[in-house]
Amino acid sequence: MLLDFALPDHERKLIPEGRISGPMPWVIAIMMFLTMLSAIAGLVLVNAARQGSDDLSSRVTVQIIEPDPTARAGQRAAINKALKSNQDIKTIRAVPDAEIRDLLEPWLGGDIIDADIAIPALVDVTFKNRPGKEQLEKLRSQIRTLSSSARIDSQAVWMGPYLQLMRALLWLAGGVIFLLLLATCAAVILAVRSALNTHRETINIMHMLGGTDIQAARLFQRRVALDAMLGGVIGFAGALAVFWILAGRFAAIGPSLLSSASIPWFGWIILALIPLAVTGLAMLMARWTVVSALRKML
Amino acid sequence: MQSVVEFDNVGLRYGTGAETLTDLSFTLYPGSFYFLTGASGAGKTSLLKLLYLAHRPSRGAIRMFGKDAVTMPRERMPGFRRRIGVVFQDFRLVPHLSTFDNIALPLRIAGIQEKDLKGPVTEMLAWIGLTERADARPATLSGGEQQRVAIARAVIGRPEILVADEPTGNVDPDMARRLLQLFAALNKLGTTVVVATHDIHLLNEIEGAQMMRLDKGRLSDPSGLLKNPPRPLVLKN
Repeated sequence: MLLDFALPDHERKLIPEGRISGPMPWVIAIMMFLTMLSAIAGLVLVNAARQGSDDLSSRVTVQIIEPDPTARAGQRAAINKALKSNQDIKTIRAVPDAEIRDLLEPWLGGDIIDADIAIPALVDVTFKNRPGKEQLEKLRSQIRTLSSSARIDSQAVWMGPYLQLMRALLWLAGGVIFLLLLATCAAVILAVRSALNTHRETINIMHMLGGTDIQAARLFQRRVALDAMLGGVIGFAGALAVFWILAGRFAAIGPSLLSSASIPWFGWIILALIPLAVTGLAMLMARWTVVSALRKML
Repeated sequence: MQSVVEFDNVGLRYGTGAETLTDLSFTLYPGSFYFLTGASGAGKTSLLKLLYLAHRPSRGAIRMFGKDAVTMPRERMPGFRRRIGVVFQDFRLVPHLSTFDNIALPLRIAGIQEKDLKGPVTEMLAWIGLTERADARPATLSGGEQQRVAIARAVIGRPEILVADEPTGNVDPDMARRLLQLFAALNKLGTTVVVATHDIHLLNEIEGAQMMRLDKGRLSDPSGLLKNPPRPLVLKN
């Protein structure tokens, strides 16, 4: 493929190249821009889902719903102490009342909290690994002996639908990329057919002089490769610029799963490979289109 | 003698129309020179198209270089076409290539290295008197100059068969004679030459040339044997 790309000067002259003047590089640039955006969105989702899954799904929150503040504090201390003996648990953190108050204040208001609402005590528990049913049941029975009103919220439970949404969006991104690649192939086929018609007479002459289909296809492959590369670079740069801008906006919205919109290291390799893959795909499509069209000639 | 081309009961029909060529049977031998004559519409160009493998016949058998050209897979066609030089009636030069590049095209298609083709192409340019126009595009050349370039392109690869359709139609008598000398020189080197022409005077220019006459798609000699011209001819300088 690389050798096919590196055509000598005299062969290039057979098909005059009017890059940029034609719409091909710009069509590919738009396709590449959209493909890259979809890929970036997919990779950010993968990263967020992976981090979220790793960080949150191994955590549970113990809620002690006890109206009596003294009993509530006692039960929290007892649970905190008892769970230290649990080998599956990595860290235990009794959430301070002030922190809970800060969390609730935007919704309930400071006055109401102080007045007459019993605020549950919270203990954040982080397991060494994502807890299974057995580990959660063990934790539940351990806590039940210390506090009858304690409730365990596994974050994996509320994370489930969130992760499913992430997965669905990931599939959507994959589907969009697939459709964009199909559209790119279609654009290449149309452009090559058009170029083939424009240069039909030159190709006929080459044929009559003993030129092969592959020799003719190489001329178009090179042209398409240059257009695809140019379009790829423009689309790639545009998509990265958009990503940097959006990443800044996400960071500004505060703590959330998407606040650290970032791409994993392997994602950068994938992103770098996309323009190359599209160029390769465009060259293959050009070759296939020319060879298929010429096969109808003698 | 081993033949170069054999036609056996060949017919050619375009689409569903009447046959353009009918019952053609003849043999061309290496190193022979043939003139193909006939009125306009007699089928000369169609016969040449069969000879340079631009068409397959509708019926009959054609053997070229000892191989069946009718059932030959198209992948093998380029190899055979490189053994045939063609001068098209309408020249068919590549419009965006220079004179030099047009003449060099068959050699480049055949994979000849650049260092090896510069000498022959320069020599050919000198022979057809277009050294000064080496960088000119076809559109800037006169009809006669284009025809000379087309002839140079056809002969540069020393083909085994040279097929020329009215090769002297657009040049003056002196240049016509020079071009025929080129054909004759190639012929002496072993190339089989087939020249389609209206110009009856050309038939006298090549010694030992044979004549094929087409009349309404049929060879006028029903036996299919090629006739010598009516009187011995001597190449004039």
